[in-house]
Amino acid sequence: MIKKMFALSTVLSGILLISGCSQKKEASDINMTSQTRDVFAMDTFMNMKAYGQNADIALSEAEKRILQLEEELSVTNESSDIWKVDHSDGKSVEVSDDTAIIINKAIEMGDRTGGALDITLYPVLKEWGFTTGDHKVPDEQTLKRLLENVDYSKVNIDGDTVSLPEDVEIDLGALAKGYTGDEIMKSMADNGISSAIVSLGGNVQALGTKPDGSNWKVAVRDPFAPDTDMCIIEIADKAVITSGNYERYFTADDGSVYWHILAPADGYPADNGLVSVTVIGDCGLDCDALSTALFVAGYDGARKLLKSDPSFDLILVSDDHRIYYTEGIADCFTNISSMEAEVISLD
Amino acid sequence: MTKGVKLLIGAVIVIFAAAVVFAIIGSKPSDSTWVDIVQNNKVIYHLDLSEEKDRTFKIDYPDGGWNEVQIKDGHISIIDADCPDHTCIKTGELRSESIPIVCLPHKLVIRFSDEGAGE
Repeated sequence: MIKKMFALSTVLSGILLISGCSQKKEASDINMTSQTRDVFAMDTFMNMKAYGQNADIALSEAEKRILQLEEELSVTNESSDIWKVDHSDGKSVEVSDDTAIIINKAIEMGDRTGGALDITLYPVLKEWGFTTGDHKVPDEQTLKRLLENVDYSKVNIDGDTVSLPEDVEIDLGALAKGYTGDEIMKSMADNGISSAIVSLGGNVQALGTKPDGSNWKVAVRDPFAPDTDMCIIEIADKAVITSGNYERYFTADDGSVYWHILAPADGYPADNGLVSVTVIGDCGLDCDALSTALFVAGYDGARKLLKSDPSFDLILVSDDHRIYYTEGIADCFTNISSMEAEVISLD
Repeated sequence: MTKGVKLLIGAVIVIFAAAVVFAIIGSKPSDSTWVDIVQNNKVIYHLDLSEEKDRTFKIDYPDGGWNEVQIKDGHISIIDADCPDHTCIKTGELRSESIPIVCLPHKLVIRFSDEGAGE
C-alpha cells in the first residue's frame, strides 16, 4: 500500500512538474511580446527583434542609428566621413566620433595581429571588383603598384582629425557592422529594452537573455553548404561574428575561386587553411575586426592571439573540413554538421 | 516481483509516456510550415506551406522590379527575379529559421514566421 501511494504520488508530481513548466512559459509570453524590424542598409539585410512594451520605439531608434552610421561610414556616399577622407588629397579631415573610434580600433587590431587586418587594402579590393561585383583577377603589375600604398600605419588620427597620404584609401567594411551591432545594443538598452537580438547580414548580437531567462540559440553557417547551419551556440549579451570565404567570391575563367577576404601581404585572397572564422565576445567591434584578421592569420595566428588574449571564443573551420572551437564555449556548442569538431588546445 | 514493484514500473512507464506525448505536443511541429513574405516590413503573405497548393506567383516591388515565388511540395523559393545579383534565387528553398530568403534591391524577405534569428 505504501508503495502504491508512492507510485501514485510520483505520477502526480511528474504531471505537476510538466504543467508547471508550460504555465511559466505562457506567462512570460504574455508579458513579453516581441516586435521585429527589417532594415536594408550597409549593403546587407538586417533583422532586429526586441521584447517588451517599448519595443516598437526602441526598434525605430535603433533603425535611425543604423542609417546615421551608414551615412558616416559608407565608402561610396559622397557626404560620408570615409569618402571625404579617401578624397582628401592628403589634407586633414574632421570625422565623427563613430568614425574615429572605428579607425582607432582598426589600427589597434592591425598592430595586435601583425598587420593581418589592414583598412588601406581598399584600392586592391576595388581592383578585384569586390566592391562593384564586376570581378576580375588583377594583373601582377597593377597589384604590385597598388600594394605599395597598402599600409595602415600611414593612417594618421588625432582625436577626430584624420589624414592619409594622397594615394592611400581606407574602407571600414571589416568593422562597420560590428560597431553597428554594439550601437544597436546601446540604443535598445537606453530605450528600456533588456532582451533583444539582431542579425546584421548573418552577424548576430544579443542583448541580455531571452525573456524567459534562457540563452539565445545562434546558428553558424556551414561554409561548405552556406544555405545550411553547421553548429548552434547558446549565448547571452554577446556578439557572434563570422568571416567566411563563401560570403563573396567569384570563379575565374580558369576555374579558380577567389574570395573577398584579401591578405594584406600579397593582395590575393587569404588562403591560410581556414574557410570560416567565427568570433564570440562582448564587443561586436572587436569580434568583427578579429574575424577578418584571424581569417587572414590562419589557425596558428588565431592560437597565438588566443594565448595573449583569452577574452573571446572562436569557431574555426579548416579547408580540410574540420571544426576547431575554444574551451570557453564547450558547454554551449552543438555541432550539427557531419564535420568532426575538436577543442583548440592552447598547451 | 511484488505488486508494489510492478506498480512502480507502471508509474515510470506512465510518466515516460506522458513526457513523450508532451514533448511531441510541446514542440509544435506545425510552426515550421508557416512562412511570412515581407516587403519592406509589411507582411504581404502569411502562408501555411503544409496547406498551400503548388503554384508560382509574381510579387511586384512598388519602386520597380519583381520576384517570382514558387511553392512546391510544401517548400518555398524565389525562382526568378529582375534584380541584378539574383542572390534570392541562389538561396534556394527556405530551410533554416536563421537564413531567410532575401532580395535586397526589392526589400523582400521570406522567412519562417514563428520566430526569427534568436530561436
